[in-house]
Amino acid sequence: MLPQVGPSELRAPEAFGVITDKTDRSRALFLEASRVFLHPRCANCHPDGNSPYQRTGWQLHDPPVQRGPEDRGIPGMECTSCHQDRNAELARVPGAPNWHVAPLSMAWVGRTPRQVCEQLKDPARNGGKTLAQIVEHNAHDELVGWGWKPGADREPAPGTQERFGAIVAAWVETGAECPSEEARP
Amino acid sequence: MSNRHTLIARRTFLAGMNLAVGGLAVGFFSSDSLADEPTGKRSGPRPPTSSQAEESSAPGLNPNVFVHVAPDGLVTIVCHRSEMGQGIRSSLPVLIADELGAEMARVKIVQADGDPAYGDQNTDGSNSVRGIYEDMRRVGATARTMLVAAAAKRWKVSPDTCEASGHVVLHRPSQRELGFGELALEAGKLAVPKPADVKLRPKNELRNVGKPLPLLDGPAYVNGSAVFGADIRLPGMLTAVIARPSIVGARVVKYDASRALAVPGVKRVIELPAPKAPYAFQTWGGIAVLAENTWAAMKGRAALEIIWDEGENATYDSEQYRKTLSASVASPGTVLRSVGDAEAALSKAARVLEAEYHVPHLSHAPMEPPVAVARVEGGTCEIWAPTQHPQAARGTAAQVLGLPPEKVTVHVTFLGGGFGRKSKADFISEVVLLAKEAGVPVRVQWTREDDIRNDYYHSVSAQRLTAGLDENGKVVAWRHRTAFPPIGSTFGPVNRPSLGDLQQGVLDLGIGVPNIRAEACEANAHVRIGWLRSVYNIFHAFSVNSFIDEIAHARGEDPRDVLLEVLGPPRVMKTVRELGIEKLSNYGQPLEKHPVNVARLRGVIERVTELSRWSDRKKEGRALGLAAHRSFLSYVAVVASVVRNPDGKIAVDEAWIVVDAGTVINPDRVKAQMEGSIIFGTSIALYSGITMKGGAVEQSNFRDYRLARIGEAPRKIHVEIVPSEEAPGGIGEPGVPPVAPAIANAVFALTGTRVRELPISKALKT
Amino acid sequence: MSIRVRINGVEKELDVDPEMPLLWALRDVLGLTGTKYGCGQALCGACTVHLDGQTVRACVTPIRRADGHSVTTIEGLSPDGNHPLQRAWVDLGVPQCGFCQAGQLMCAAALLEKKPKPTDAEIDHSLAGNLCRCGTYTRIRAAVKKAAGMSGE
Repeated sequence: MLPQVGPSELRAPEAFGVITDKTDRSRALFLEASRVFLHPRCANCHPDGNSPYQRTGWQLHDPPVQRGPEDRGIPGMECTSCHQDRNAELARVPGAPNWHVAPLSMAWVGRTPRQVCEQLKDPARNGGKTLAQIVEHNAHDELVGWGWKPGADREPAPGTQERFGAIVAAWVETGAECPSEEARP
Repeated sequence: MSNRHTLIARRTFLAGMNLAVGGLAVGFFSSDSLADEPTGKRSGPRPPTSSQAEESSAPGLNPNVFVHVAPDGLVTIVCHRSEMGQGIRSSLPVLIADELGAEMARVKIVQADGDPAYGDQNTDGSNSVRGIYEDMRRVGATARTMLVAAAAKRWKVSPDTCEASGHVVLHRPSQRELGFGELALEAGKLAVPKPADVKLRPKNELRNVGKPLPLLDGPAYVNGSAVFGADIRLPGMLTAVIARPSIVGARVVKYDASRALAVPGVKRVIELPAPKAPYAFQTWGGIAVLAENTWAAMKGRAALEIIWDEGENATYDSEQYRKTLSASVASPGTVLRSVGDAEAALSKAARVLEAEYHVPHLSHAPMEPPVAVARVEGGTCEIWAPTQHPQAARGTAAQVLGLPPEKVTVHVTFLGGGFGRKSKADFISEVVLLAKEAGVPVRVQWTREDDIRNDYYHSVSAQRLTAGLDENGKVVAWRHRTAFPPIGSTFGPVNRPSLGDLQQGVLDLGIGVPNIRAEACEANAHVRIGWLRSVYNIFHAFSVNSFIDEIAHARGEDPRDVLLEVLGPPRVMKTVRELGIEKLSNYGQPLEKHPVNVARLRGVIERVTELSRWSDRKKEGRALGLAAHRSFLSYVAVVASVVRNPDGKIAVDEAWIVVDAGTVINPDRVKAQMEGSIIFGTSIALYSGITMKGGAVEQSNFRDYRLARIGEAPRKIHVEIVPSEEAPGGIGEPGVPPVAPAIANAVFALTGTRVRELPISKALKT
Repeated sequence: MSIRVRINGVEKELDVDPEMPLLWALRDVLGLTGTKYGCGQALCGACTVHLDGQTVRACVTPIRRADGHSVTTIEGLSPDGNHPLQRAWVDLGVPQCGFCQAGQLMCAAALLEKKPKPTDAEIDHSLAGNLCRCGTYTRIRAAVKKAAGMSGE
């Protein structure tokens, strides 16, 4: 009953009005948002191990890098040794302010939408954020926003950051429910 | 070979070298450098033509173009071969100094410009030591003879009673000595002795040869002061970055440079002439953007709008071409080697084994991409370049500019890696054309993408090997079909490997099989093919060593034993008849002097399997693989240990390499070359490959043209040099060929997967 | 745009495109050619320098990022070429062609600042971004350990 959209688009929050049950609507909104969370542009830097991924097939980052104790690389191979505050001109190196890897507690690679959802709501695993702060972070953070302007020939995350922020906000407004373990967008 | 020496009239070599002093110098080149190399790129010696040939009034001893002894005792030795990491500047001059009897602390080494007066300067074919070992000793010995003669004259004693060592000439009976510097002026007035009157020292008097020697340029390399080609800066110089076509032979239909010219710092946009086949050392054509700095030139290039005519190579496709090569080796080619009757023996064999092997195009990818600086003014041209072949650079520049060669000076900088790429003078053609057109000094800087996409590629190849085994499993018939577009195709209409090409691991393969047949099969080139470190030996060694390993496993026997069995008993093959071939270029050396010595090949195999504890090869979690190969007149065997890492990736964790290269000058640099060969070979085996689609290279930079990184190279590399008094063989290349097959054989032992196509990453996670 | 950078301890003022990579500012504008161009895409490490003590790949670092900061290049790693790493590099004959070595040294120097006694794995991880086509890796590892005062294998 939700409108069909292409892989590069996100449905508008209003489209979820057709789901009358608020809990179901919240779950559906999260599934929609999970298309962004689990898109390689975003999940690549929420890795499940010591190295981020790159490209779209969960290939480990090359040159081989380590997350390091503070998720910002190691001596000689800091994230910002190469990544600048914006995408490099005439080079493929992507960039955005505060470029770093998400902490291991926020790993998304290999997780189901439900697992990501529970992680997001758990202050012990979301950097101590309130739901309101999560909405704000997703809607406006510049590093998050890189996912929609990744540069070179990279496939961006679906939709826009604005719409993604609106979906996350609608999810919170509808109770921040998590979908079932089996549910997929 | 000494009777082939030619002495040139006395002259100094110093004019072009900014030395404040002059001295004794003798011109000297050897026709031995007229090596019959498969690539047909050697040029013979000619009379000296450069400004350096002019007489100098500088005082001292100038017995030849390689040595100068100044009145203050400073000995200057010219290194006429290019330094590209092989440590030639730390090796070759030592020979001269040892013959002279000089103290290395009082020796200065200067880099020669490109000039035929030095004989062959082409730094390639692993030829610098093996090719001119005696010549270089003779250079030093000539100077020594003159210093001794001067001292003897002053003391009124017979020269035979004098000796030169420790930078002095000594008359032992009277306990008198004179420093080289004190003798330089007098020696410089003497006639240069005839070659027959110059005696080489006994080997045990060469004080430094074979000993640990310091790395001459080490300090300059580690403090940033070593000047590479990319580091030359001239006043008023513009930097050019060129938009080349992605397909060789494609040409510019039209272009719009207005946006490029609007980039701040961009000064000129110049179209280069499109090449015609054969491409040789012509430019690729395209549009050059000249700017005040590299960044502006790069931005300007990105702003160009160009419409190309793709030309006839636009259909070249690696997937398709692989099938073409397979088809080529599926039917008979030109027979270039025949012993016994292989076809008859195959038809009668109890068992026939057959396998086909593929190796892709490879790119040299030296860490310093091609770069050169030129100034063209007043009918002269001056070039600074990291070239392996300064005389080819000079000749090419002269031809392109329409100048006589003597009006062109080529200064050789350090090379940030060469591997064969920098023998080619295409980037020289570009820089001189642009410098002429621009009227100011120009530096052409290739980007890494240019380097990967516009190289002279190592030839793609298919090998089909067929063996006939008798009832006991013994190999009684051997047929090798090889197809690859040869290097000759870059220089002329050639579409089949020649006799000269197949010397690299097919015709000179010392196997003890009674029936042998080798065939060259057709393969048309659609890119520029060039020589890359160890050249055709890469795929010949890969297929031969893989195939023998396959035979061993098919028989259920130890691959080492089967390898030794196939090679046959220790023996020395000194004639082409024994090998079943018409002729063997033998890397430019007579077979008599450098025979196919199966005993030496067996020797390195036996030693490397001993060092690596081959008998324990089936340890938990790792497996060993073995390969051996003769190339460039040296014998190398490798054992690789392959493991599967916790992440599932195949990796080489340890390697052993034993080299028998005859006499070596600088064992530490030999060791370094072997270590480097293991890692270069690891990249070839596991990671690297150039593929084509629509006539264009699909790779662009190190992201997709992968090289081994520090954590991917073997953690431990054990090198052993076989002590030998034999004539020197090559060092820079012979370590490479056995590496990939040793790794592939270990991969089979570990995983049961037989990889017949490189890189191994196509079949397994690496 | 005018940019002020302290290069090897000396204050410099440059009037260049703020997006110009630090590499080309060093090489083409300041004439410090010890820092090398190898790939232009932060894949090979030949251009590694220190920005306020942290390694950066100069080929992708816009000069504006260095405005008001300190840059150390190979020319400034030590006043006389006697940094323990430089000495170890020469003693063990690490360089072959030498082109990548400035980047290797700058990375290794940053590593030793933070980890004076690195393990093999730490060396491999920190130098993972520095390619050497000649294949000097085993000697590089040994030289880092030698400079760190650790006995070799």
